[in-house]
Formats: sequence, C-alpha cells, structure tokens
Amino acid sequence: MAEKNEPVNRRKFLREGLWAGGLAGLGAVGGFVGVRSTRGDTVWQIDPNVCTSCGNCAKYCVLEESAVKCVQLYSICGYCDLCFGYLVPEPKQLDTGAENELCPTGAIERTFVEDPYYEYNIIEELCIGCAKCVKACAVFGNGSLFLQVRHDRCLNCNECSIAAACPSGAFKRVPAKTPYLLKGADGKA
Amino acid sequence: MKQQSGIQRVELLVGTVIVAATGVVIFSMLMHDATGRKGSGLSGDFAYDVEKLTKIDPAMILYEESGTQIETALQSTRAIAIDARDYLYVAGDKAIRVFDTSGAVRRTIDVPGAVECLAVSAATGLIYAGIGDHVEVYDGGGKLVAIWPSPGASAVVTSIAVSKGGDVFVADAGGRIVIRYDAEGREINRIGKKDLDRNVPGFVVPSPHFDVVVPRDGMPRVVNPGRLRIETYTVEGDYEFAWGEPSVDIEGFCGCCNPVNIALLPNDDVITCEKGLNRIKVYDHTGKFKGVVAGPEQLTPGSPAKICVRPEQCQSGGFDVAADSAGRIYVLDTAANVIRKFTLKEL
Repeated sequence: MAEKNEPVNRRKFLREGLWAGGLAGLGAVGGFVGVRSTRGDTVWQIDPNVCTSCGNCAKYCVLEESAVKCVQLYSICGYCDLCFGYLVPEPKQLDTGAENELCPTGAIERTFVEDPYYEYNIIEELCIGCAKCVKACAVFGNGSLFLQVRHDRCLNCNECSIAAACPSGAFKRVPAKTPYLLKGADGKA
Repeated sequence: MKQQSGIQRVELLVGTVIVAATGVVIFSMLMHDATGRKGSGLSGDFAYDVEKLTKIDPAMILYEESGTQIETALQSTRAIAIDARDYLYVAGDKAIRVFDTSGAVRRTIDVPGAVECLAVSAATGLIYAGIGDHVEVYDGGGKLVAIWPSPGASAVVTSIAVSKGGDVFVADAGGRIVIRYDAEGREINRIGKKDLDRNVPGFVVPSPHFDVVVPRDGMPRVVNPGRLRIETYTVEGDYEFAWGEPSVDIEGFCGCCNPVNIALLPNDDVITCEKGLNRIKVYDHTGKFKGVVAGPEQLTPGSPAKICVRPEQCQSGGFDVAADSAGRIYVLDTAANVIRKFTLKEL
C-alpha cells in the first residue's frame, strides 16, 4: 500500500503556493483587525524600568512640543542638596544660578524645604522630554525623575513615531484605565 | 525535463527571497541601537555626558589589581567582610560564603533571607548578618545562635560593625539611626538622632546605603550619605567631627548619597566606595585624601568606563570593600559577583 507520488508540475506548485499565501494573508488581516479593535482601550506609555533616557522622545513626537514630559516621583526622591538631576555635574555653587542648572530649558524648579532638603518640581510647560535630568538622576540619584507620556497632549497615534524610534522598547500600550506607569517603592513600575 | 527545470527555478527564486529576508532581519537586529548610545540627534546641550569624570590622573592611583578574581558563585552579591584569620565572608542570594586566603570556599551558610550586610567579630568569630529589619547571629560553623529583635517598625539594617570591646553597632537606614548593642543583643543606646541642642545634625539617608565602622579608638565612624561625609561619634552618641565634601572632584564625594560603603585598613585609614561613578579611594583617619584604589576605568578593565544605561544597572548600588591584616583591599564587584584584590603599587 505504498503512497502514490503524484508528479508536481509548475501549475500545481503555484496554485498551492497561492492558496497558502492567501491563507497567511487572511490570518495577518484578521490579526491586524483584532489588534486595531482593541487599541481603542489602550494608550501609549513609557515603561520607566526599560527607558534608557536616550532623548528620542523629544525629537520624534509628531507634535511640535513632545507629549512626553519628565515627572517627579516624590516618594522616592532624596530631596538632595547636591541633586544631579538639577545641577550640572560640576556646579560652581549648589544654588539656583542658571549656570548651575542642568536642564537646557530651565524646566526644574528647586525649593528649599529644611536643612539639608530641597524639593524639585517639573515645570511641564518648559519640559521638552529630552531626558537629560532623567539620565543624571538615574546615574547618581534614586531615579525619581523619569519620563511619561502625558495624555492631555498625546494624540495616541496608531503608529507612534516615538515608539518606532525607541531603542529599548520602553514604549508600550497600556490600558487606558491605568494610563501611567509609575515606579513603585520597590523600584518597579 | 522542461517542467522539472521550471520548478527548480521557482524553488531557487523562493529560496533566494527567504535567504535575503533572513539576511535583512539579522542585519536589522545587529544594527539596532538597543541602548540609545547612538544618541537622539539633539544638540550637545541636551546630552548628559560625564565620561570625562571617569578619567583619573594615573598618579593618584596607588593600588593595582593583583591575583585572580575569586568567583563567589552567587547570583546577587551584596556585602563582604573579613575575619581575624583574613577569611572572606560574602553575602549574596540567601547565603553567606566563606573563602580562605587562597580563595577556596570553606563554608556556605544558608540563611532565611537576603543578607544586606555582615560583620565578623575578631574576638569571638561570631557572624552578624543584617537581614531586612533585624540582625541574626551565626557561629563560625554556620549555626544560628540568636535572632535580635528589630530596632523599629521601619528598620532597614544596612551595616554592622563590631568594636574591639565587643559592642555591636547597627546602622538602620529606615530609622536613620545607629543602635549600639552589647554582645548579647541588648540595646545600650542610640546614636545620631537629630538633636541640635547636642549639636547632632541627624543622618540624611536618601537611599538604603548607610554604613558604620569602628576603628581602634572605639568611636564609630558613620557615613551621613545625604550630606556626603563621614561623621565621628562617641559611643554615648556625642557628635565629634566630620569630614568629606560634596564634589565630583576626586577628593570629594558626588551623587545623592555617597560613600555607599566604607571599610578600615589596619592603620585605620578609611576606604570609601562610591556609586554612580564607581570610585574606591583611601583617606587617612582625619579625612585627608590619600589616593585612589580604583576608578571607573580600573573597575571595568578592557572596556570603556561604565556609566549605567538601564535603570536596573543605575539603581543596583555600589561595590563593597574590606581589607585584610596586610592592607590588601578586597572589592566585592556586585555587578560581576566576584571578589577582586587590590594591592599597593610598588614604587
């Protein structure tokens, strides 16, 4: 009862190939439609535990002013006098002099609390999401400064141009009900 | 024959397309800049570059790495201590591993939790391990001797030091206090609570790095990490003096909380470890800068000086350090989980 091996001709090969291609295409279209249908419930966000503060968020957003802003998580901030997120690496003085400020747009405000603590607030209107302060805070501090997509600005594009340019894959879709990924006390989002 | 030849051409075409597509995928993966090091294309004003701070004048480097590194065989190392025999104790995972002077493993002590810090009594050989909010005491054979009560609801034990007289000083980062115990674990007094009437400035502890050592004079030296200095107290808790300046210069301490760990040389010179910029330096007992044991470039030989890229690297803390009776410095490389030995350069 040996199986009968039918000779394969070009016509049959192409016909079967066309069938297979068609089925694969149908699957892809179905998957695409499925993903699209669920996107309505999700928004773009940055995973702060994956973000490498590369600066692409400032450059690649389709908006003139990026929808990505630095945020400050006060619960893990050290309220340091020598804050590397606020001050240039070699400051002349530990004060609010412009020459000592790290932020190129002056978007961080420093306020004295009590010796030796200072509070740092982000002025969102000035922040362009370049992540310079985020990098410095991560290297030398507690990582309390990090980037988030601000949903009062974000257009929630289907194909986010920052996500496409993100080198570390930190951009992800999250449920619209929980649109922010904040670092927890354990350092996890 | 003609039909078969046509099929072969189609197969060849399909094969070529598959190979080309695979090549494109592999090329794309290889060229992908997963760390963002290629930059965003923004101007230099928007880049954070501290690479020049990793350079240290070679004349300031007094030590060199010697011997082979000791593999700890632990996944996540945290602390190192040394005993009177110069045996090394390394805390990591849920264990304490003991290495003899040749680097061979002499014992592995399993513990119930992650040991954040440890000390070994030179007089008794007892091992004091800080696990979460409390201290556990083990004998030299690894047998649990005592579990001390937690010093407070928010306690995070980050350092333990045993004085020559047998007192045990425990640094609690959560409570921002140093507690002095007797050898049996009875609390004697607390050191460092902010009290301006007593001229005690209070400890500023932005992150769980808070170290204490006790030199031969018996007066605890406590890192005040948020003030980037080392403070000296009497055993009764009176503030005596402090040294250390906030600065990125090699003589100072930089970052939000440094030095993260300190240790003593046999002559009571102080070895300091900084995080952020990984720098290990030596100061005399008055705080005068003597030189560098290793900087970022020496601590990552064969590769560019390491400044962290990913958040978990940045927040993983600094290296720990201990010195033996001959003044050799053992650095616990918590990134590679190995022990590295540094000895004074021959002049």
